[in-house]
Amino acid sequence: MATEYVKYVDVTKCDGCRACMVACKNWNDLPAEPQDFLGSMQSHNNVSADTWNVLQFVEHENSKGGLDYLFRHSSCYHCADAACEKVCPENAISYTEFGTVVIDQEQCVGCGYCVQNCPFDVVQLKTYKDKNGDEYRKAHKCTMCTDRIEEGLQPACVTTCHTEAMEFGEKEAMIKKAEARVKEIQDRYPNAMVYNPGGVGGTHTVYVLAEKPSVYGMPENPKVPTSAVLWKDYAQPIGKAMVGGVTMALVGAFVANKFFDKSGKVGPHDDGGEDHE
Amino acid sequence: MTNHWSDIQNTDVALIMGGNPAENHPISFRWLTKAKEKGAKIISVDPRFTRTSSKADLYGQLRSGTDIAFLGGMIKYALDNELYHKDYVVNYTNAPFILKKDYKFNDGLFSGYDEATRSYDKTKWAFETNEDGTPKEDKTLKNPRCVFQLMKKHYERYDVDTVTSVTGTDKDMYLKICETFCSTGEVGKSGTIMYAMGTTQHTVGTQNVRGFAIIQLLLGNVGLPGGGVNAMRGESNVQGSTDFALLYHQLPGYIGAPTASAKHATLKDYNENETPATGYWSNKPKFLVSTLKAFYGDNAKKSNDFLYDYLPKSSKNHSHINLFNYMYNGEIEGTFLFGQNPVVGGPNAGKEKEALGNLKWMVAVDLWETETSSFWQKEAGSDPSTIGTEVFLLPACSSYEKEGSVTNSSRWMQYRWEAIYPKGESKADLEILHKLALELKALYKNEQTPAAKTINALDWNFGNGDHPDIDLVCKEINGYDLKTGKLLPGFGALMDDGSTSSGNWIYSGFYPEEGKNRAKNRDNKDTGGGNFLNWSFAWPANRRILYNRASADLNGKPWSDKKKVIWWDETNKTWTGYDVPDFKPDKAPSDPGGDDPFIMNKDGVAQLFVPTLNDGPLPEHYEPFESPVANAFSSKEINPAIQLFEGEFNLKGDNKEFPIVATTYRVSEHWQSGTMTRNQEWLSELVGYMYIEISEELAKEKGIKNKDKVIISSARGEIEAYAMVTKRFKPYTIRGQKVHHIGMPWHFGYKGYATGGTANRLTPHIGDANTTIPEYKAFMCNVRRA
Repeated sequence: MATEYVKYVDVTKCDGCRACMVACKNWNDLPAEPQDFLGSMQSHNNVSADTWNVLQFVEHENSKGGLDYLFRHSSCYHCADAACEKVCPENAISYTEFGTVVIDQEQCVGCGYCVQNCPFDVVQLKTYKDKNGDEYRKAHKCTMCTDRIEEGLQPACVTTCHTEAMEFGEKEAMIKKAEARVKEIQDRYPNAMVYNPGGVGGTHTVYVLAEKPSVYGMPENPKVPTSAVLWKDYAQPIGKAMVGGVTMALVGAFVANKFFDKSGKVGPHDDGGEDHE
Repeated sequence: MTNHWSDIQNTDVALIMGGNPAENHPISFRWLTKAKEKGAKIISVDPRFTRTSSKADLYGQLRSGTDIAFLGGMIKYALDNELYHKDYVVNYTNAPFILKKDYKFNDGLFSGYDEATRSYDKTKWAFETNEDGTPKEDKTLKNPRCVFQLMKKHYERYDVDTVTSVTGTDKDMYLKICETFCSTGEVGKSGTIMYAMGTTQHTVGTQNVRGFAIIQLLLGNVGLPGGGVNAMRGESNVQGSTDFALLYHQLPGYIGAPTASAKHATLKDYNENETPATGYWSNKPKFLVSTLKAFYGDNAKKSNDFLYDYLPKSSKNHSHINLFNYMYNGEIEGTFLFGQNPVVGGPNAGKEKEALGNLKWMVAVDLWETETSSFWQKEAGSDPSTIGTEVFLLPACSSYEKEGSVTNSSRWMQYRWEAIYPKGESKADLEILHKLALELKALYKNEQTPAAKTINALDWNFGNGDHPDIDLVCKEINGYDLKTGKLLPGFGALMDDGSTSSGNWIYSGFYPEEGKNRAKNRDNKDTGGGNFLNWSFAWPANRRILYNRASADLNGKPWSDKKKVIWWDETNKTWTGYDVPDFKPDKAPSDPGGDDPFIMNKDGVAQLFVPTLNDGPLPEHYEPFESPVANAFSSKEINPAIQLFEGEFNLKGDNKEFPIVATTYRVSEHWQSGTMTRNQEWLSELVGYMYIEISEELAKEKGIKNKDKVIISSARGEIEAYAMVTKRFKPYTIRGQKVHHIGMPWHFGYKGYATGGTANRLTPHIGDANTTIPEYKAFMCNVRRA
């Protein structure tokens, strides 16, 4: 693997301008997805197949009794140990040399296992119609602008961020920076922390959070579901040996209910994210 | 801005009041973030806890329309605790000037008030003068008739309890804010004040800004890096358009437009009455004559007063609210609206829409069909059969489809190039104007009427193409030495004998020689102190920090090494430093006037006391046109010098019927009346609906739940919106009484992807006493479930 990179997101420097959301749609040519009025400044409840990053707005009464208005750029975490990659029966999801996790649209059959197993609720399906009018689906998510990185550019969201709340750089340097930043802001935000969860092998989006993850509706200890490990490391190789590895999605559909356990999963909004601003 | 965007990084404390830069001027946060990293404190004062407040160290809640109470209390705090920069105040402001006995202040009124005309006789606010006409001074500041003592007396009434009972600010927080900001009075520190329309769009808007100026002068923060009074402009070129005479009462470069009065009857009269004997404005005749030479070319001669007679002269107030009043009364035949959408953006917009129906014709120049250009349609709620206005819609192209310059809040004139060709038949507004001018000249060519004379005399030589040669326009702005035909090096070379021309004197020097348009400069190297002297051109004279002579002491040495900008170099007998000196470069501190840093003012010092404004020489709190309570400071409820509009054009609400204070604002994603952004899908998905922000307490009282549809009403009308119930608005206690406050964006109309009720259907048709800017920011309303 070449140098490993991460996207550093210091939410305490974010001013919620949402230029990252527009820059993402612009670079990736994604359509607008108008929503109903959500009762806050937040435009979309969560990321989706056509909206790869969402700026989260949280009104939070802090431990000192004051009001915080917190913002967070949310998008794919690009886990080092990615559940989506593990469960994909078609090997459509892979790690790039930069550490980013990408979906090969040619290979994706829209089975949705990645959607079910993402501990962060990031991957989503989009429905298309073919020329016969038959529906088919593909999984989509943030690519960390891997196509830009390959050209020596930074992700579009990072490039557009004017407060330098986001940076894209070498993993070690970014983690050090995050740790140093937490120290700087602890007076103001006593619960500040670096978010780089070990349960998914660390992520390639490393956050400096002002508050505990739960305040943002983020899982405190996200894990690759055991079922996904079983699938990737045991069932899939056996299955492939049995049927030649071509139609693993069919096998997958058969065994899905047995293996995949959704109940342990904590999504960004299981913790009342919608009620926050 | 007296300072500039990238200078904000030099501040120790930023007081952000009447503005919400995190949301509306996001780029400023790039520099505020840098300042914070260096230990700066940010203070946010706002009716609502905004995204700016969330980034601030201190947040003070303030009822809309009570800025002067807040600032008056801070002035008192600085004076009582002697936190002001004494040497600066004594030497660089008019604090020591002695006022004549005529100046008085009693129960909300300054001397010289005439109730019938709602105006002041300003001669009652004059200074005592010496035989040579200079003001009498007492540099000990002890004389009870000096500005300092009278100011102190004026603000004695602004004690913390009275102030906070009016503003609704928590008392402890208020004191903390005063303490923090006034800490910048210490030598070696500087504080900046950043504001926007939350300050200006009031019946006391000008005096709100004056309040800022007084505080900054007391603390010695003007002319210093990280200091100043900084207006954040809400549009990429609003600074430029103002510089170029967007306002009705000015010629380019802030030369007052002549009026239909005896004192402006001839060029001689104008010059005699409008030219101060001292200060840089003593050069005004040079600026005016050079402007006339740019307008009329060879036709402007000394023998014909350079065609001064051809300038339009009126005795009327042609501000926005007056124009629409005239229009409503059928006094205006036709109008051109370039990128204007008053049916969404005008005060009491419902009436402004009706006013458009009284025009014979209207030309709208815009990128899209707006609520204004379609005001006559059924979809707009109109009956087309009853409207006689003939409407022409000319398609304009966008900023990316044309070449030219914009001037930002930092006064930086930045040149831009055409990125893509204009779509369809759309054209640059400059081309539209150019073709219109040529067509008019062709039509009047053989006529001798008075109207034809002015048009025929106009010098309009910008090439032969349909699109004017923009390089020629730039050169005309810079100006020429007409004897040699060469471009002028700067406004210092302008003459009043017709031998020079300049379309806008403050920009003279941006194009000093062939091939050297400095607005195109793009060297982003910090040339010292956070200034970037080789990036673009800052008017005047590429100066980045105005009044920077005041950053140095009487002897020309910086007050502090930490806050140095320019200083006197005794060896080379010149001012030098990080910026272009705002001073005669070779005038030594020991020379006469060498320690008078405010060269634009006739006395060379800054004005704590301004005897020329319409509503008083010192800011005084009056309640907004519509208010929940009686004025705590005097029996004068509203600004005594504002113009009142009678009748149904401007109904006033009763605070029993409309007990809730309301204000309006913008969001990051939409721009002004929304024409450009509500037609963009990616922006419309981010803020797709009209909403009001309402406290949890008020929501509970009214039985409103988050996301409910509500109706907001004022004396002018009612609109529908969604309710956004938020902790970021809290009920106020004002003079012992519970008062609710709501806020709403004003971007919406019925066109485009993101649609919704128009906030300005609710706002009053009333304006500031000096500028007539409408009072959009404070009015009374009521809310109920839809």
